[in-house]
Amino acid sequence: MTDPLVTVDGLEKYYYENDTLLDRLTGAEPEAVRAVDGVSFDVREGETLGVVGESGCGKSTLAETLMRLREPTGGSVTFDGDPVFELAGDDMDAFRRRAQVMFQDPFSSLDPRMTAGEIITEPLAIHGVGTGAERRERAETLLEEVGLSAEQIDRYPHEFSGGQRQRIGFARALAIDPEFIVLDEPVSALDVSVQAQVLNLLADMQAERDLTYLFIAHDLSVVRHISDRVAVMYLGEIVEIGPTEEIFENPQHPYTKALLESVPRADTDERDRTVETIRGDVPSPRNPPSGCSFRTRCPELIQPPWLDLPQAAFREIGEFRTRIENGDIDVDLRWEGVGDPDREDRAAFVDSLYEEAFDTGLPAEEEETVREAIRALADGDRETAAATLRERYRSPCEAIDPALPAGDHPSACLLNEQPEDVETAREEWEADHDAPKAGAASE
Amino acid sequence: MTDLLRVRDLSTRFFTEEGQINAVENVSFTVEAGSVLGVVGESGSGKSVTGLSLIDLVESPGKITSGEIWYNNADLAERVEGDQPEAVDGDFVDLRRLSAAERRSLRGSAFSMIFQDPMSSFNPSITVGEQIAEAAEVQRRASANPRSTRSRTQGYGLGKMLLDGVLPDRSYTSEESWDRAVELLERVGIPDPAERAEEYPHQFSGGMLQRAMIAQALAGDPDLLVADEPTTALDVTIQAQILDLLADLQETMEMSVVLITHNLGVIARVADRVSVMYAGEVVERGTLRDVFDDPVHPYTKGLLGSVPDIDQPGERLEPIPGNVPDLVDANMPDRCYFADRCPKAMTDCLTRPPEYEVSDGHRARCVLAEREYSEADAVPDERLAGPTDDGAGPNDGSRAPDESTAPDAEVSDD
Ligand code: SF4
Ligand code: SF4
Repeated sequence: MTDPLVTVDGLEKYYYENDTLLDRLTGAEPEAVRAVDGVSFDVREGETLGVVGESGCGKSTLAETLMRLREPTGGSVTFDGDPVFELAGDDMDAFRRRAQVMFQDPFSSLDPRMTAGEIITEPLAIHGVGTGAERRERAETLLEEVGLSAEQIDRYPHEFSGGQRQRIGFARALAIDPEFIVLDEPVSALDVSVQAQVLNLLADMQAERDLTYLFIAHDLSVVRHISDRVAVMYLGEIVEIGPTEEIFENPQHPYTKALLESVPRADTDERDRTVETIRGDVPSPRNPPSGCSFRTRCPELIQPPWLDLPQAAFREIGEFRTRIENGDIDVDLRWEGVGDPDREDRAAFVDSLYEEAFDTGLPAEEEETVREAIRALADGDRETAAATLRERYRSPCEAIDPALPAGDHPSACLLNEQPEDVETAREEWEADHDAPKAGAASE
Repeated sequence: MTDLLRVRDLSTRFFTEEGQINAVENVSFTVEAGSVLGVVGESGSGKSVTGLSLIDLVESPGKITSGEIWYNNADLAERVEGDQPEAVDGDFVDLRRLSAAERRSLRGSAFSMIFQDPMSSFNPSITVGEQIAEAAEVQRRASANPRSTRSRTQGYGLGKMLLDGVLPDRSYTSEESWDRAVELLERVGIPDPAERAEEYPHQFSGGMLQRAMIAQALAGDPDLLVADEPTTALDVTIQAQILDLLADLQETMEMSVVLITHNLGVIARVADRVSVMYAGEVVERGTLRDVFDDPVHPYTKGLLGSVPDIDQPGERLEPIPGNVPDLVDANMPDRCYFADRCPKAMTDCLTRPPEYEVSDGHRARCVLAEREYSEADAVPDERLAGPTDDGAGPNDGSRAPDESTAPDAEVSDD
């Protein structure tokens, strides 16, 4: 195994909202948005580490923080032995030369009046490398290397197609001869035929120049194609990391499994492939779930030790619980719905909501517990309703935050191998929580 | 299977300062009743404009310049027959020959559309329920009197398309249409629909809003739903949910769907038949199997070869060299539009190929449908414009009118 070129340890990037002067005067608590929430991994020399995740998972913030384009709120990054967040002066300068970044649209931040040549050589100019003539010559060589022609050096960005602009962006990243390049969604704005051209170019250049890539993307097929190892992110955390083949052929974390299953295959058998879609949306990083961040959508949510329900039933109860806890159910509206504004026929209210929420037949004990919760709701006591359900249906995944252990292919899920302290915490939690009596919590 | 729509030689052009742009060029295809036609293409292929043309939503400076759109609707045929016998053929009516008012009255009830960005389809200051209820109400009244249709949601994408007017006052929706809105929200899988109906668009997540837009589009119980990149802005787990929903609705409501997308996986998941578009033309069409397993056109092959396979990663991708042409009429060559990028270009290809029949229902606009490739007939490169590797054509940077909706530009996260 080759040595790590980059080591990321416990990296955190929180943003704070409600943090203006006015907020402070009015006493509003600053609210943390946990964009990157304690992330650790290595990037080994000469490899491509793919980072994949959906929007809002923090993968772009990770890239920017790691490159010190944003200041971290915690953790450290080591580049070839140097602590990146502590570098200053010449050392920082050296880091800026050895590590480059290329974005999805490298031109959105650039002056549209700069020519292709000026764009490519700007990093050289900033670092005072070479004379004007030398830099121009370098730009011409680079243009040819990325599959454009040297004659295009004086053209402006708008004269190029999307694929060509991406090639120029890549030439710019290469200009100063870096060792490490962070590629943030470099092909996602491109049409597939052009995307394939750029992916081939990235692979060729890596082989030619021994480059190390951190490749960030949401497209799993692309990530599989280009990466040696893959990290899967969800809500600011890495939930699984490992060799590409392992991640795709033998995924461990329920989120990785769901993600892989969701990708529609360009194949005539795709119609008949059963896809277990995961429900709901990604929760807000302003208010991430307690315990495991994936638990609100997890199809494999762990049942408390006193239950042994079919998973579908446990999920249905869980979803119903969420609706009550979030206040999604408007009791007044429901009473109107059952046509009983005087609120006398509580049984009708309970029946109607129960039937709406449950397709699978629950065992008698569980049905009684749920009905009891609905009765509390009918009386307008949402607290009790929620408590009744929480007592009996709380999952260890709500209480225990799984960790990403060390190793070749770890997964941050309680179903997989976990570090000592997490296992201990789980055992303690289970010992502390006895089985509540079914259907009796509020009596 | 009966046909719902037969499109013949449809052309749509844009008359811009840079000249005439041939966004859709002599396009023909058939949409079968109760099935899904996938239209796939890259930016500037004309796929979105084709969708807009179908339901008469092309806006100035664009214009449908020729072609026929035959719509199977016996009641409409009967109604039109007396005045315009030439617009009727059996149960089919040529929509192009109807008056603009008549065509407009078909929106919502005959045709409906959903887009990539649901936010632009909703008025942010009106509750989601009200907006769907309006669409339902308008449909109800429109079936009685086509000229009464006015609404506040006009100016907002779908609302605008369905309603095309201005509402006189806020008491426009009835209790009946409100109930229908709640029912529609439930139908598209929104939990607690009565509660959610009272909320505003910004309170919905992206996936939920996409569902709400679908609910709005279904308000008139349309025969045909045109879905333009309906999942492109969504994350892949949400995309899977929405594709399931579309397939389910299509089946249970017996609608036809024209699904426009750049994503071949999405096509494979839901389409029965496929039209591949390139440079404004349909270059190949047939069943999903014809096009995916037995492609004839080198562009179709190139497109399939460009997508990395998530299950069987190959060593190297085989991209199509070069870029799509810009569709400016004056620059369009008098040969196969794909010839400049085609690895099989022959002297035969220097005249514009017609659409050949490969097998029953499988057509390709390529000479290879008729003959084998032969090295001896290969065209020397200098007969064709420009270098081939994503090279230097003078118009590479310009954009065709529908490009803005085509690539997946959604992706930056955080
Ligand atoms: S810890 Fe629990 S909720 Fe989280 S992924 Fe594992 S099983 Fe699912
Ligand atoms: S007609 Fe000729 S140039 Fe055009 S796609 Fe077919 S083989 Fe290629």
